[in-house]
Amino acid sequence: MSVAAHSERGLPGVRAERWMPALAGALALVLVAATVEVVLDGAAGPSPLIPKSPHIASWLTTPFGGGAGLGERLGYRVFLIALLACTCAYTGLVALAQRGSGARAAEHRQRVPALSKRSAIALVAALQLIVFAGPILLSTDVFSYIAYARMGVEHGINPYLHGPVAIVGDPVFKYVGQDWIHVATAYGPLYTLLSYPLAPLGVVGALWAMKLEALLASAGTLALIWRCARARGFDPVKAIVIVGANPLYVLYGVGGAHNDLVMMLAMMVAVSLTLAPAAHRPRSGSRSGSGSARREGAAAAWVIAGALTKATVAVLLPFMLLSRRRLAPLLGALAALAVGALIGYAAFGIHGIDVISALNRDAALVSTDSFANEIAHLFGKPGVFPVDHDLLKAALVLIVLHLLWRTWRGYDWVAASGWALLAISVTSTWLLAWYILWPLPLAVITRDRRLLVATLAVQALFIIHQTSPLFAPVQ
Amino acid sequence: MIDKGAAEMSWAPPWLRPRAVELKGSGDLRLVETTALLLVAVVLAVATVNDVARQSAVNHRLVADLRTWRHYTRHDYHNISIDQETLGAGSQREVLCANTSPGPPKGRTQVCLAIWGAVVKGMRTVHGGWYLPAHAEDLPAHRYGCFGPAGQGRCPR
Repeated sequence: MSVAAHSERGLPGVRAERWMPALAGALALVLVAATVEVVLDGAAGPSPLIPKSPHIASWLTTPFGGGAGLGERLGYRVFLIALLACTCAYTGLVALAQRGSGARAAEHRQRVPALSKRSAIALVAALQLIVFAGPILLSTDVFSYIAYARMGVEHGINPYLHGPVAIVGDPVFKYVGQDWIHVATAYGPLYTLLSYPLAPLGVVGALWAMKLEALLASAGTLALIWRCARARGFDPVKAIVIVGANPLYVLYGVGGAHNDLVMMLAMMVAVSLTLAPAAHRPRSGSRSGSGSARREGAAAAWVIAGALTKATVAVLLPFMLLSRRRLAPLLGALAALAVGALIGYAAFGIHGIDVISALNRDAALVSTDSFANEIAHLFGKPGVFPVDHDLLKAALVLIVLHLLWRTWRGYDWVAASGWALLAISVTSTWLLAWYILWPLPLAVITRDRRLLVATLAVQALFIIHQTSPLFAPVQ
Repeated sequence: MIDKGAAEMSWAPPWLRPRAVELKGSGDLRLVETTALLLVAVVLAVATVNDVARQSAVNHRLVADLRTWRHYTRHDYHNISIDQETLGAGSQREVLCANTSPGPPKGRTQVCLAIWGAVVKGMRTVHGGWYLPAHAEDLPAHRYGCFGPAGQGRCPR
């Protein structure tokens, strides 16, 4: 290290810098320990937070066979304390990664990043694997996915016409959430068809396969975030820490094996395809220009593939088309849509491609965690009324129109898509933890820092809203 | 500025070509957007804190209701169902039902208590109630043995 660099920062600055890796290590340890606590307690059996499930993780509580278990059934108190500990540690790590990203940018000054590339990858991988090894956390959705697959494969029942109640004798039925037993699938035909090969594996086999699918989708998403961050000149270490160590992403997203992760993977493939490495950028309308057209066509097709998994991601398409202003993405989207619709229609009939009615059905639901519900309470109303749904839809339309106008003027389409996804989750009356993950992968690869701040702020408010049982626990 | 990568769009008028950077004049727009975002953030934060306080107050009341049911029936049961709709949503009047003797949830004759009023020494006032047969939901047709002012007119004749 040069003397000049020393004198520039001063001795206290250098001392503080030496503590940074140790501090990052301690924060990572808190994050891992709190996640282990949730997983071990979750493995002890069902509770209000752990859905009834086949005993896939009981080996975690009695690793040496028999005897007293390691964990106690997960209650609100332990979970919320663990969630708050994770959140605090995550906030600290993000702040350190921010410093580290500055350090990497100023490598000539040889500042030591608080979080090295290797340790960041190890932390993110450890968190995902810990949750993968454990039980299904905080949601029964994965059992609905399995039920829909078993309806189609084992019972010959169209999951777009009937709810899981149609297979009341099937072994998966008892695990499906009570609120969803009469509800036909709202997911896209591509996802339903992808889940069909898992049905013959039995409930336990399908459950592990779903968990593996979520883990691989998460790993793929993080790898693409790394690639996109590098392509756009951002620090990839910071980007994957912000997404991969995010408590909502780890505990709710990967922990619940949600198909939102598959949708996010398709979204990131699409974004990645539009961000060609600098070496491949076309100089003129030559052969490399046609290569970029192919990539953009494929990117639009991937957005459609994501939408055929979960419709929300379709919101990226108008921003992509408006930004690129080429025929290739439009043709790619139309071709993918035609193929997807054809396959969906052939497999499930007209109901398999009727995304609008499924979206309308979900839009009418109200969750206690939605901001719309909280604002209704703030104004003394008992809950959300039909007129509020209309007002929220109008607000969403205005926001999307504004973002489209800005994209037309040259604003980054990836950032605009992120804002649109954030607006969808904030204006939705049916808000779940994994919905506020949607904009996060886009927020870490855009220059508009406000998107990342807004996404993390919304997540923080969501976590704060969970904490009321800490103040007055009901027993 | 026009996107250099979109060379095949050179035939199009400049306003139609992809842009590498945003048009100038978006500084004020950014200020307006940021102000709007801050206002939304304030509203969401106030609504969230208000809802946490409201939910904590509800939980505090429910804890008092559970304690009241256990004290009134002398049964220290944990599977007690709480209904906040029967006596009016938002009325802060609850109906709590649970078994009259040990057994699985709803597996024995159940007693339902209508509870409301201020929390005094960790409990609220029982204003009456009714009984339900084993395995029955709290529907008017299933109720019998109504008692107290809250039970009047709630049992089928």
